[in-house]
Amino acid sequence: MAQDETRPEAARATREEAAERAAIAVRPEFRSGATANFEKTVFEMKGIEVLYSGVSAVKGITMEVGHNEVTALIGPSGCGKSTLLRCLNRMNDLIPTAEVQGELLYHGEDLYGPHVDPVQVRKLIGMVFQKPNPFPKSIYDNVAFGPRILGRKDGLDATVEKALRGAALWDEVKDRLKDNAFGLSGGQQQRLCIARCIAVEPDVILMDEPCSALDPISTGKIEDLMIELKKEFSIVIVTHNMQQAARVSDRTAFLMVELDAEEHNRWGRLVEYDVTEKIFTNPSDKRTEDYVSGKVG
Amino acid sequence: MPESVRVHYQEELESLETSALEGLDMVNTALSRTMEAVEHRDIELAQVVINDDDRIDGRYLEVHQSLITLLATQSPVATDLRLISSLLHVLKSIERMGDQCVNVCKLIPLTGHEAPADPEMLKLILTMGGHTRTLITQSKRAFEGRDVEMARDLVRRDDAVDNLNRECFHLALALGDDADRREWAMTMLLAARAIERIADNAVDIGEQVAFVVTGLFREFEDASHPS
Repeated sequence: MAQDETRPEAARATREEAAERAAIAVRPEFRSGATANFEKTVFEMKGIEVLYSGVSAVKGITMEVGHNEVTALIGPSGCGKSTLLRCLNRMNDLIPTAEVQGELLYHGEDLYGPHVDPVQVRKLIGMVFQKPNPFPKSIYDNVAFGPRILGRKDGLDATVEKALRGAALWDEVKDRLKDNAFGLSGGQQQRLCIARCIAVEPDVILMDEPCSALDPISTGKIEDLMIELKKEFSIVIVTHNMQQAARVSDRTAFLMVELDAEEHNRWGRLVEYDVTEKIFTNPSDKRTEDYVSGKVG
Repeated sequence: MPESVRVHYQEELESLETSALEGLDMVNTALSRTMEAVEHRDIELAQVVINDDDRIDGRYLEVHQSLITLLATQSPVATDLRLISSLLHVLKSIERMGDQCVNVCKLIPLTGHEAPADPEMLKLILTMGGHTRTLITQSKRAFEGRDVEMARDLVRRDDAVDNLNRECFHLALALGDDADRREWAMTMLLAARAIERIADNAVDIGEQVAFVVTGLFREFEDASHPS
């Protein structure tokens, strides 16, 4: 500061920089566009279209997903959020009538390339579903399931403990690892599913409305967990809870339903994708504004 | 067409904006009476302004509480969030404007019934009051119309008030050595300063208009680092 006083020009420059920084803080779009300046990109979607029995469910999706970030997909029912999410680990392969068009790159590699093993994809890109779905086994066996399938036998105890700690569940279950997982509460079961997912050391975790069946306390725990997990993994979450997207995600993509001229067919379309702070304070598109403000249904 | 929802919430937010901005009408009335009291050294009218300030404070507390409730219960985002944030600022400015009118009115008894008023200085102060009333009206219209240009124009009008305030200072210095006249002039300088602050508050409201519209808060003029 003393230096600034003796050099008025430097002081003015510093003030202008500070003003610019303040402006950037309140206007994230000055910082970076959502589709640019990722430190590292996990997914690159180029014109993705998903069809069920030849009918489009989503189309024209072009966006990138950043590494070590939480990316939220929001939008009204039927806009194709879950469909898009399921593309990211080839879960749509399990539906015989589903077809994915366009280009989907995972760390620069074509996820739908001819030599890609979908099982390996789902190991690297795990999924947590809306309703907790533990196996009818013990807590320990649920978490050890993935590593065992992968043929890991050594250090299984350590793997299970690490996964349960990672899912913020260890302290609650460490004395009853052999108990049936169905004895856990809904929130604990969901964290167990997250532990099961991270036990195979994935790169990405996809979450499809992971808190919609949980109470606010359990929801808070899962949200805290997401913020911890993103240090190690990349997370893509589908949520109907706008405040949840605002609380946990770094970037938010808003999809909405589009109708053809005859209003016979409907499909999901990406309307806006940007830094979450911008989506919830000053969105660029009126349709996003109306949706996040809850003014249209 | 998508169906409109949260109609009651929208109506409530609009009604709270109207109530908050009506506070500017209340301030305008208070300032008008204050100027009349200054001109005629009307202590009774000054007392009316002081008593009526409770109404402005009441409006502030009532709308402020309702906005906090809306924040807690409706989780507003985007433009609604910026509007509520701005209204909280606007309310604070209105409350301060009311207080400044009270400050001026409290000075009037101090000058006495037969104060040796200087007509030129009194005229300057009354002119400041008139300009400031225009600023208040314009700030309200700019907010209602989300008119950033009109809001920015408040700076120009505020500069005129600032200049008049400086002229008052120079006149006070030139009034000579008579102790009673100097005391009156010093008291009037405090009044001029209070009116000048009211005009500044109107510019603050203009800055909030720009924030609601653009999402970017920047002072129209940086008092600590004037260009």
